[in-house]
Amino acid sequence: MSAPRVKPPQRGGSDPISASVLGHQPEALLAFMKLYGTLWSHGILDQSTKEMARIRNARTLDCGI
Amino acid sequence: MRRGRTRSECGRVPARYARAVTWLPETGPGRDEFERVFALRPNLFDAWREFASIFWEKRLVDPVILELCRLRIAQLHAARHPLSTRMREAREAGLDEAKIAALAEWWRHPGFSDLERACLRFAEQFVMDAKAMSDDEARPVVEGLGDAGTVAFVEALALFDGFGRFGRMLDVAPVEGET
Repeated sequence: MSAPRVKPPQRGGSDPISASVLGHQPEALLAFMKLYGTLWSHGILDQSTKEMARIRNARTLDCGI
Repeated sequence: MRRGRTRSECGRVPARYARAVTWLPETGPGRDEFERVFALRPNLFDAWREFASIFWEKRLVDPVILELCRLRIAQLHAARHPLSTRMREAREAGLDEAKIAALAEWWRHPGFSDLERACLRFAEQFVMDAKAMSDDEARPVVEGLGDAGTVAFVEALALFDGFGRFGRMLDVAPVEGET
């Protein structure tokens, strides 16, 4: 496995998302989480369909997260 | 409040992009078809606009690089709507229509900087096969943009790619006429 191309920010923290490379852009991360939260928690599409698409997409891209 | 996208200043939409409107049976209010389609889910549209505008308003990445990659990705998807719009921030930073006209064959043209070339190569690989991205392709982008800039750049690519596909799948019509 190759080394990560971008290292997580030094400040770290207990939250795994903000301690990841996404923490380099806290404003963008906050706005993204709002968008993602709206998609998952305030949508009209049923959760199982969204989850199925999410997992299928992750498998297609071989994304372990 | 209007945020995010700005309208095209390039004049009329080329004929190859201007044809029927989206196949969706209904749309909401909006100034162009992208807005009218996305207005069907207003809470999602508001959150999307807030996210999408940050990259431009906060200058997380050079707006010329962002705009070149946004338009190149739209070309790869043949996505009519994003191809018909231009970002004010990029124009104000010096990006002109002559350079945009060369974008479809950017690798043949000398007017693109080394960093622009690296970012365009990265953007194309991101769209076509992200799994096959090599360290050699990624390295000049990370060196040129830095860690924080690279994160913002990749997030922006995800937006451009995802919403290029969104517009393509829903057949969202371009912005028409003088805007």
